[in-house]
Amino acid sequence: MPKINTFSENSLKILDKDPNEFKNRYEYSLFLLKKDKRAQLGQKFHSLICSYIRGFDTDKMSLELNEREREIWQKLKTGLSAKKNNFIKTEYSFLIKEKLNDDFYYLTGRFDAIYQDKNGITVYDWKTLNTPKDPENDLQSVVYLYCANKIFKKENIKLRYLSIEKLNFADVEFKNSAIYKKRTDEIVKKYYELFL
Amino acid sequence: MIIKANSNTNKTQILIKEYLALIKQGVEPQDILVIVQNSHKKKNFIEEIKKLSDLGNIGDLKIYSFFGLCYNFILDNWAIIENSIKSDDNRKIIPNLCGLEISQYIFKNCIKEVDFSGYNSKTSLLHQLLRRNALINFNDLTAEEIKNREQILKESYSKEASKAINKYKLETIDKRAFDYIRQINLFEFIYKRVKNSFKYVFLDDGDEIIPALYSYLEYIKPEVKEFFIAYDEFGSSRLGYLGAININFEEFLNEKSIPKDNNDKKTKNAQKLFNCVQNDELIELENIKTKSFLRRDEQIKAVLKDIKKLINDGVKPSEIVIITPLCNEYLKILLDSSGFNFNYLSKSEKLYQNKLISYILELLKIINEENNVFLSPYTLKGIFIELLGLDEKETLKIIQSYKIAYETQNTNIFELIKESKNEQFQKLIRLREKIRYESLSFQLYETVINFVDMTKKNSKDIIKINKLLKQIYDFEEIFKNSVSNSALITQLENTIISENPLEDDEIFENQIIVSTAQKIIDYSYKTKYQFLLDASCDLWIKQDIGPLYNAWVMQKKWNKESFELEDNIRLTKDKIARTLYKLYLLSQNITLYSSVYDEGGMENIFGIDKYYKYKNENINKTPQKPIIPRDDQKNVLNYKGGLMSVSATAGSGKTTILLLLVEKILNGEIIEKIEPKNIFVLTFMESAARNFREKIKDKYPNLSELPNISTIHGLALRILKENNNYSRIGFDFDFEIIDEIKRTSILSEILNTLGIDGTKLELYNSAISSYKNELAQDYNFISSNRLFLKIYEAYQEKLKSQNLIDYDDLLFLSLKLLRENEDILSYYQNLAKIIIEDEAQDSSAIQQNLIKLLGQKYKNIIRCGDINQAITSTFTNSDVKGFRDFMTKSQNVVMDKCQRCATGVLDCANNTVKIAKEDEINAFSSLIMKPVENVNIVDKNAVTLKNFEEEKEETDYIIKTIKKIIKDDPKASFAILLRSNFAIGKWDNILKENSIKTYRNSDSLVNNPVYKTVLLILEFINNPYDIKHLKETAKQLYDLGLYDYGTLKYAQNLNEPIFLRDDYDEQFFWDMNYFLYKNTLNIYEICHIIASYYFENTPQNPNIALVCAIAQKIQNTQKTFENTVSRLREIQFKNNFSNIKFFSCDEDDKKNSSVQIMTLHKSKGDEFDYVFIPELTNENLCFSEENFKLKENSKFIQKVKKFPKSDDILKREIIEENYRLIYVGITRAKKKLFLTVSNKYKYFAKMKEYKNSEIFERLEDLCQK
Repeated sequence: MPKINTFSENSLKILDKDPNEFKNRYEYSLFLLKKDKRAQLGQKFHSLICSYIRGFDTDKMSLELNEREREIWQKLKTGLSAKKNNFIKTEYSFLIKEKLNDDFYYLTGRFDAIYQDKNGITVYDWKTLNTPKDPENDLQSVVYLYCANKIFKKENIKLRYLSIEKLNFADVEFKNSAIYKKRTDEIVKKYYELFL
Repeated sequence: MIIKANSNTNKTQILIKEYLALIKQGVEPQDILVIVQNSHKKKNFIEEIKKLSDLGNIGDLKIYSFFGLCYNFILDNWAIIENSIKSDDNRKIIPNLCGLEISQYIFKNCIKEVDFSGYNSKTSLLHQLLRRNALINFNDLTAEEIKNREQILKESYSKEASKAINKYKLETIDKRAFDYIRQINLFEFIYKRVKNSFKYVFLDDGDEIIPALYSYLEYIKPEVKEFFIAYDEFGSSRLGYLGAININFEEFLNEKSIPKDNNDKKTKNAQKLFNCVQNDELIELENIKTKSFLRRDEQIKAVLKDIKKLINDGVKPSEIVIITPLCNEYLKILLDSSGFNFNYLSKSEKLYQNKLISYILELLKIINEENNVFLSPYTLKGIFIELLGLDEKETLKIIQSYKIAYETQNTNIFELIKESKNEQFQKLIRLREKIRYESLSFQLYETVINFVDMTKKNSKDIIKINKLLKQIYDFEEIFKNSVSNSALITQLENTIISENPLEDDEIFENQIIVSTAQKIIDYSYKTKYQFLLDASCDLWIKQDIGPLYNAWVMQKKWNKESFELEDNIRLTKDKIARTLYKLYLLSQNITLYSSVYDEGGMENIFGIDKYYKYKNENINKTPQKPIIPRDDQKNVLNYKGGLMSVSATAGSGKTTILLLLVEKILNGEIIEKIEPKNIFVLTFMESAARNFREKIKDKYPNLSELPNISTIHGLALRILKENNNYSRIGFDFDFEIIDEIKRTSILSEILNTLGIDGTKLELYNSAISSYKNELAQDYNFISSNRLFLKIYEAYQEKLKSQNLIDYDDLLFLSLKLLRENEDILSYYQNLAKIIIEDEAQDSSAIQQNLIKLLGQKYKNIIRCGDINQAITSTFTNSDVKGFRDFMTKSQNVVMDKCQRCATGVLDCANNTVKIAKEDEINAFSSLIMKPVENVNIVDKNAVTLKNFEEEKEETDYIIKTIKKIIKDDPKASFAILLRSNFAIGKWDNILKENSIKTYRNSDSLVNNPVYKTVLLILEFINNPYDIKHLKETAKQLYDLGLYDYGTLKYAQNLNEPIFLRDDYDEQFFWDMNYFLYKNTLNIYEICHIIASYYFENTPQNPNIALVCAIAQKIQNTQKTFENTVSRLREIQFKNNFSNIKFFSCDEDDKKNSSVQIMTLHKSKGDEFDYVFIPELTNENLCFSEENFKLKENSKFIQKVKKFPKSDDILKREIIEENYRLIYVGITRAKKKLFLTVSNKYKYFAKMKEYKNSEIFERLEDLCQK
């Protein structure tokens, strides 16, 4: 029996690229924790944005940032301030159950923030530096839009990748659930096939 | 909804069903809070929800353990905390939610700033404060509640403790570093400031929740639409030190609970078991088996045998669980060597115990080390072979070059390997250059990337390395550069890594789980077979009380004004009842394993075994001949209570009669309603106690607890330890009793500091003992000798600061404890319905005081001894006068028949008494030994007295005589009894040179073959180039019978290191190479490999664990392999190390008609067919005052006494004792006795004249007459 039944966009990416690497990493924990300063900064921004949207005063927290980072934060905050009230959720974890032949598998992840206005729903994903090169075909877009559709039961959904440092963004509109599912199914199959 | 249900029901399933029903009604998962016991149960709960949910969106699940809830709450709402902190220093966007190792480090530094002056133990202070802090937080105690506890416990250091804890709290805020306990505080701060979003709350295992969680539930209750709670009214196994609280949920919700307990047999049995423990009734249930043994290794082997049988019968490994509170190295080694796959859920493993990590850390130490430090060659060897994967032979050559190069030119290892073309060495040099001045986390990361295979075989290690990396990242993040890499490595090595409640254990199908009881309960791990190992170990019943905390009183619900001993006993019992109840529900078949001794040879007391009715299944008893007592013995057995003294002459069968007496008492024939725990038997030597226990155990294998049979020190230790009594005198549980080695090393350090000659060490050592003995009689007594007092005070201060006590303190403190605590005294007085003391003539004043005190209520005291055999009063604190006095106040029974000695020997002994009387020496009682008709050998010529001109003639005579007797009487037993330890070696060599097998009956460590073998092989590993040592090793191993003569010959012809040879036909070659290439930094492991290779299936088997434990203890202080080995050699002639005493397994050796060589003192209690007492010079045994020179030591000791004895009295006492000493020697002989002396002995290479001892002359005269 396959040990792993739940997949995130990140683990699916690894599985897609190399099923054995996936197995080593998730079944045998064969990886080393690495201190990544950029990722740490990214987490800090995530946390600041989340606190800000939720209405907390972030001035004191932001004193941890250096001058350059604080400048970025100021710009970002200004950009968010007008929209602040339209964010309906932050840090929203999801879990979706899927059927694949006779088995079930689960998709999981966390939306950084969910924005709603008359045009529909926008799932925000903050990227520290760059937005994906090919957002349309990026596996994250596939998983997130597929899951957002299942959760909100709407089709006018888009995923917005927002670069914190550059303040640019890339949007991907929801297209077709069946295509998304086919893609995730195919990747998950790669893992199951290792056990056949 | 409240469900009252135990773990044998489907309570969690019911909760899940209710949960899904809410979802069906349209409730959002994020509105439902689910709190389960731990991460393991959280995972199971989520998996179950996933399984039962419909396809599509399951939602944002809010399922947490309590600590997980705190953790997530803090991360989500950190802004609230940060905004409430005034200072702008060290602002944080994300806090450091760290592990306990960080908070311990912070706490350690905070303590330094608080003055705990006079506090008993500096070493345990950190532990004390951490526990106090944890209990305050778990129990959500308010400042007022803390104050109230301080008053109840009459705490002396509460102010200091509060100060330290406050400092710690401020420091954690300053550093924004919070462990899971500290997170509870932040959680409370936050939930009171944010709006509750949960409309429904599910709580599984409600009986195990802590007050901090309960406070939260109470707080949000008004906003919660409905609660769903499952709890077990008999549950709460985490009561006390884990902080659980018994909640009346019906009251909390004001609704009736729904009983869902299956009213089945199992539940009923579990409740019956619960009640049995509560009411002190023995548990007897059909699916519980009990097996009891003498030693721990027998227990473990029995478990393995049982497992093997089950697996052969088709039982899956996952259907079996071993539960023990003592999952130590020894257990792991024994279990793992069985070939079954065990999974140890205990997280107490220290970093160095993991081979890979230990080598990585050693490498990092080396990289961070200064250039010119000498590195341990053994460690280097391991790093090169295990981490760099180098060839073994090549490595040994390089290490040898390093040793020489360092010694001659101070060459650094990196300079040396630079020259090598080996790619791995070059890689290491490049790595060193790259990481040398980087952070430790980077160093570790790079080392692993370079030298560790990221493959499945290393999977478990990689998980551990990641945990270590996480810790280092945390340290670096929080302390920036204030901790150096080397200091950080040391800190991490020394930190006791406690479990992180947010982590879960992996459990696999094909593994047998080995775990603590609590973990099995926490996981609700159900199995078909449950093996409760070490049921006799006191760790099952560990109470959590110390000078600065008390897990019972610090409970939220505590409402008594005081804390009494009986509270402690009652609450402990309640907790055990809950634990055993929960365990019972989790299994279908339970087997208890217990043993009289732990693996260190100490008696097990206060285990859970006493709650179960024993029906031993492992007994193959050989029927014993009933003993028919003689008339003089019958008087002892006619005892009807009260005070009785028994004067029992040598060889009168005293031990046998005392055993019969104990049996009579156990059978209820003397005192009604007596239980084993009401009987106290005190022996003089531990070996006698062991012997006594084993005989009782043999006779009554089904006794769940034996009578209290111990030495006085054993009893004192029990009094200090039981029910955490030590905390009443300011000690923590980890106080240690120092052995003679440690004691002398402390003393020598003090003498050195004070500039006192080291040769005085023995003098002050004895004086301290005497002084403590005096203090026990009069607490206010102060010695008038100023210098001594200075030394004494420095010595006591040193002990105190390290949480140590010595053997004298043990008696002193237990007596003090009883005198000053009425509740404790009455507890023991109620227990001690009868006290029997053996060797009463050797009893010290403190011992007699203790006996008197304990026996005061029932006054049933039997003291048995022989004044004629009092031979310890001149060098110990024994006080024969006390026994003489007791004889006058009690019914006196005399056993004067000696059935041991031939009639001639009896006459000789009686003549000695007669001579003393003639000389008006008051050495003996008036007891004259009489033979037993038709039993003693009638031989008027049983004693031979021989006077020789020179030493050589004397030894030749003895050798010739022994050889002749062996020829005629091959099964005979022999002994050569000597005045001093010093002469033992000499006689041993002489006999060996004459091909007579000897057995040195001394307690020295190296006398034990396991110790000797391990030491030799370790030395070989330490220096494989030393061919001379290897040859010596081969000889010694040959002498021990471990190799044949061929091996000896092979080894003697070696002329190069054995590992460079290809002698594939030689077993010795294979063995030595096998040991040489066994790389591990874990000395316990390597010792076990060596010892079990040679001794596993021999009578010495139980000593394997002891030797390993000694080596381990030494390594803890000596650190390197080399230092450990040299220390093992240094202490080889000591009697014991760290109070570890070897099991005597010498029966076989004795049988092999070897000659035992020992001191006269040591021979007491023993008997031999043929006894030789040589060297009877006046120097060795003096009997007249004019010839007697009093030693300085003896005189000095008087100076520290309240009533010092004059030199004349002292002389007289020593002479009296010499009479008794020779008397003891004489009475060891069953068939023949040889008393010999020469006129000249070798003294420093010259022959010196000696006078015969007067007793020799007098006995010779009498014989001739």
